Amino acid sequence: MIDPLVEDEKLMEETAQGDEYAFELLVKRHQSRILNLIFRFIGNRTQAGDLAQEVFIRVWQAAPRYKPQAKFTTWIYRVATNLCLNELKSSSRRKLLFSEIPADAGRTPNEEGTVTPSAEDILLAEERSRQISHTLQNLPENQRMALILKRYDNLSYHEIANIMDCSVSSVESLLVRAKRNLQEKLIFFEK
Amino acid sequence: MKCHQIQNRLSAFQDGELNDREQEKISEHLEKCSACRKRYEEMEKIWQALGDFQEIQPEPAFYRQVIKKINESNKPRFRVGFRDLRWLFQLFSPSWATAALLIGGVLMGTFLGNTLAKKELLPFQQNRTYSQAAAEVFSLKAFDPVPPGTLGERYLRMASYGEGGHR
Repeated sequence: MIDPLVEDEKLMEETAQGDEYAFELLVKRHQSRILNLIFRFIGNRTQAGDLAQEVFIRVWQAAPRYKPQAKFTTWIYRVATNLCLNELKSSSRRKLLFSEIPADAGRTPNEEGTVTPSAEDILLAEERSRQISHTLQNLPENQRMALILKRYDNLSYHEIANIMDCSVSSVESLLVRAKRNLQEKLIFFEK
Repeated sequence: MKCHQIQNRLSAFQDGELNDREQEKISEHLEKCSACRKRYEEMEKIWQALGDFQEIQPEPAFYRQVIKKINESNKPRFRVGFRDLRWLFQLFSPSWATAALLIGGVLMGTFLGNTLAKKELLPFQQNRTYSQAAAEVFSLKAFDPVPPGTLGERYLRMASYGEGGHR
C-alpha cells in the first residue's frame, strides 16, 4: 500500500507508471479544492463538476511528462485556472454564468452530531452565498481568479503569479482593483 | 508616506505581502489616520463577507466518473489485473515476489495442462480422430500394386505425365 501521507510529486510518478491507486489518492486529496476553485470562478455546480473532472483527466494524461519543477498544487491550480479561463472564452458557456448556487451548497452529506442550523439560517446563508457568487462573477476574469486564489486558497502573491503566469506586481495590482470593485458591489453586506 | 500611497498598499498589507518595515509603517499610519483606518476596516469587512461563500462537496462518485471518462477516451492506461498483483510486491521483496509469481505460474500451468489433457481438450488431441483416420488410409495403401513413394509409382506418374504431354 502507498503511504497516504506520501507527497504529491511521488504520487504523480506512480501515476505515470499506471498506478491507479496513486492516482486515486491524488484525486481524493485535491478534488475538493479544485472543485471549489472552479465553482467559485464559474458559479455553476454542474459545470464546475465537469471541469474539475477534466482537470484530473489532464493530470492523468500529463503524468508521464510531468516534471516536478514547481509544487504539484501550483501545477494543478494552473491546469484548473487555464481550463476555467479557456472555458469562459466560449461565448456559449457564458450563458451558464450567474445561474446556480445549489440548495445543498455548504452542507456536507451526513452532517450528524453537529449543531443543526434553523431552516431560516440555512436560507439566509444560501442567499448570502448566492449574492457573493453573483458579485464575483461580475468581476473581470483575471481579478476574480486572483481574488479567489488569495481569499479561499490563501496562496501567496508569488504562487498566484506562477499559476496565472504573470508578475507578482501584476497580482498585487489585480487584487487592489478586485477589492475596490468588491467594495462598490458588496455594500449591501455591511451590517 | 502619504495617504494615497498608503491606500495603494493596503491590499498587500492586508494580505501580509509586505516586508516587516513596510508592514510596520502602515500599521503606525493606520493608528494615526482615521480616513485610512476606515478604508482598511471596510476592506476587512468585505474580506470577511467573502467567507460566506459556501463550499460544495464533490459527488461521492467523482473519482469513478473520472476513471470512466479516462477509460472511454482513446488511450486507457490502466491495465486490468495489475492492481490485483500489487499487494504481492508490497508484501514481499521484489525478488521473492517474482519467485512466487514464477512458481505460481509453473504450478498453474501444470495443473491446467493436466486438467486439459485429461479432458482431451488440448489442440493436438482434438485433431486426433482425423490424424488416426488419415494414418490408417495411408497404411492401407502399402498393399496397393504400386505403393506410394516407391520407384514404380514415380515411373507411372512420369509416364502418365508424358502421355498427357503428347496430346
